Amino acid sequence: MTNSALSMDVLRRAVTELPDDRLTPVRQAALARLQESGLPTTRQENWKYTDLSGAIEVAERALEAGSDSSGDGGVQQEIDAVRNTIDAHWLVIANGRIIGEPPPDLQTAGVEVVSFSESSTTPSIDEPLTALNAALLEDGLSIRIDEGADISKPIAILVIDDADSTPCMSQVRVAIELAPNSHAQFVEYHTSSGTAEHYSNSVIDLTLADDAKVDYLRVQKRNLNHSQTERMNVQLGCDSQLRHCGFDLGGKLSRNDLDIDIVGAGAYASFDGLFMAGDGQHIDNHTRVDHRVGPASSIQEYRGILSGACRGVWNGKVIVHAGADGTDAQQTNHNLLLSEKSEIYAKPELEIYADDVKCSHGTTVGQLDEAALFYLRSRGLARRHARQILVHAFGASVIGKSPLASVSGLLGEMVEARLNELTASDSK
Amino acid sequence: MMLEIENLKVKTGDVEILRGLTLSVNAGEVHAIMGPNGSGKSTLALVIAGHDDYVVTDGSVKFKGKNLLELEPEERAREGIFLGFQYPVEIPGVNNTYLLKAAVNAVRRHQGLDEVDAFEFLKLAREKTALLGMDPQFLNRGVNEGFSGGEKKRNEILQMAMLEPTLAILDETDSGLDIDALKAVAAGINALRSDDRAIILVTHYQRMLDYIEPDHVHVLSHGRIVRSGDKSLALQLEEKGYDWLREAASA
Repeated sequence: MTNSALSMDVLRRAVTELPDDRLTPVRQAALARLQESGLPTTRQENWKYTDLSGAIEVAERALEAGSDSSGDGGVQQEIDAVRNTIDAHWLVIANGRIIGEPPPDLQTAGVEVVSFSESSTTPSIDEPLTALNAALLEDGLSIRIDEGADISKPIAILVIDDADSTPCMSQVRVAIELAPNSHAQFVEYHTSSGTAEHYSNSVIDLTLADDAKVDYLRVQKRNLNHSQTERMNVQLGCDSQLRHCGFDLGGKLSRNDLDIDIVGAGAYASFDGLFMAGDGQHIDNHTRVDHRVGPASSIQEYRGILSGACRGVWNGKVIVHAGADGTDAQQTNHNLLLSEKSEIYAKPELEIYADDVKCSHGTTVGQLDEAALFYLRSRGLARRHARQILVHAFGASVIGKSPLASVSGLLGEMVEARLNELTASDSK
Repeated sequence: MMLEIENLKVKTGDVEILRGLTLSVNAGEVHAIMGPNGSGKSTLALVIAGHDDYVVTDGSVKFKGKNLLELEPEERAREGIFLGFQYPVEIPGVNNTYLLKAAVNAVRRHQGLDEVDAFEFLKLAREKTALLGMDPQFLNRGVNEGFSGGEKKRNEILQMAMLEPTLAILDETDSGLDIDALKAVAAGINALRSDDRAIILVTHYQRMLDYIEPDHVHVLSHGRIVRSGDKSLALQLEEKGYDWLREAASA
């Protein structure tokens, strides 16, 4: 199916129902932009393997029902449960609505958190899904780290969606700016509750000024009836450093676009991901790095574990622009298929317009090593245990790269729990 | 009788590899199985361990009176069978100590014993690595990951030493070893010798038998044992090669 149209009338009505505030003009501009561009379809190269029509249908039904979900009422327990697992400065966005005030100790640490409606931040509308996000955005969060500030405790953004009886849709927008020479750690945690379908559309902008450093962990642990699209736009200044790691453990359909724009010499970006899909799941990671200046480095490793009837997509694009000499770009993608019904579409793309560059890419698709399986069984380990060990070992290298040491134990447990589910259902 | 193999016939794909092999091994004995390339030595070892690439078409294998052929590989291991692989597999990301402990605990659970105490276990593992002349660092590395050939073989013997199997089948454990490694490995094997255990050494050469004295030597050719004898048979083979036995077998 390629017909993923969203009725403009329904959309327009939904926009007029939002409060008339500072964001009204940009919502209208976004609508106009959307009318022109439409939403992504599988006819577009970038969306060839990811069919959004199911998620857009949920969106249409949600908008028609005008379902204004109850805010944090139903999910307070879940919010507290997540908050208790990670020691962080928590910011909560439930069903697209910013919940509560930012923790007061953030400001004393050198972090300013304000909503878009109270500040001068304007959401961008360039990409179709970004325009959809801006058109329906209730409000966004702007996070600014002061120059020279070193925020030792992670800043965590909890995105939680709760669709109980009717389909729901939510827009999440966060703009993070790091002033020169500042350092912060972030956790972005997506989860969901409720039995109805949900579609969440997030846009995160992350800007690092010169010499800024960010460690970023993204965890997506949604219900299997919730879909999400997420775009993260990163801009890296001179000698800035980004270490990013993403884990997709749930969701019906999950599409992540991570775009990194290297505009300052000496910048370094590492980004890794582990995605695990079981029956009925679709997980798509699209990454793009624009090396506009050199020297600079980008290095990525994505690993996919697919079990049951599911689909994984990885597309890694690196563009080394003219003049970006001294670029070092490496990309790797390894995939483990645990069943005959699982599919992976993996594509590295390199476009190089500079002379002095070092680029490499490698992609593998394989199954569990039967020789290793027999070896473990010959040592007394049950077949299922042996499979779990091998699958876990495959994913372990990404867990090892997770930049937030304080969360790696929890992360290991979450990954192991999900892998045990996947290997249990795929016993052959 | 610990191991009783009778008229064993084994195929892989369409190729018959073992063609009616009979062998009995008693507790306390060390048997050496020798023979030219392709005679079925490794197949025999893998069939006893339960590799499913090999299909038994006829015959029987009993271990301590039980029909071994109906047990899964892991059940055989828990019953006390250990295969030292000719080509140990590298398993990156799986910690060597983790595997050792999981293996020991799998056997202990089967025997109705409690899991090992972590501290005692590590102490024992360190002792055994020292005995085998291994750097204790090996315990923290991925299973055989980046190990040299000799290190892999020592690691097999380390696993055997920790598991203390009833029947150890060592498939060309001597190949690719320099003389120091061979001595260390042989010492590890000899340490396991006891009245209630048996060892089957699969080897090309009589070199290892200088260090581990076998009670019986068998020559395998075309999937059958064509000659059995004591350790002097190995010396004879070293001198004359295998051809004279092949001729004798086909005559």
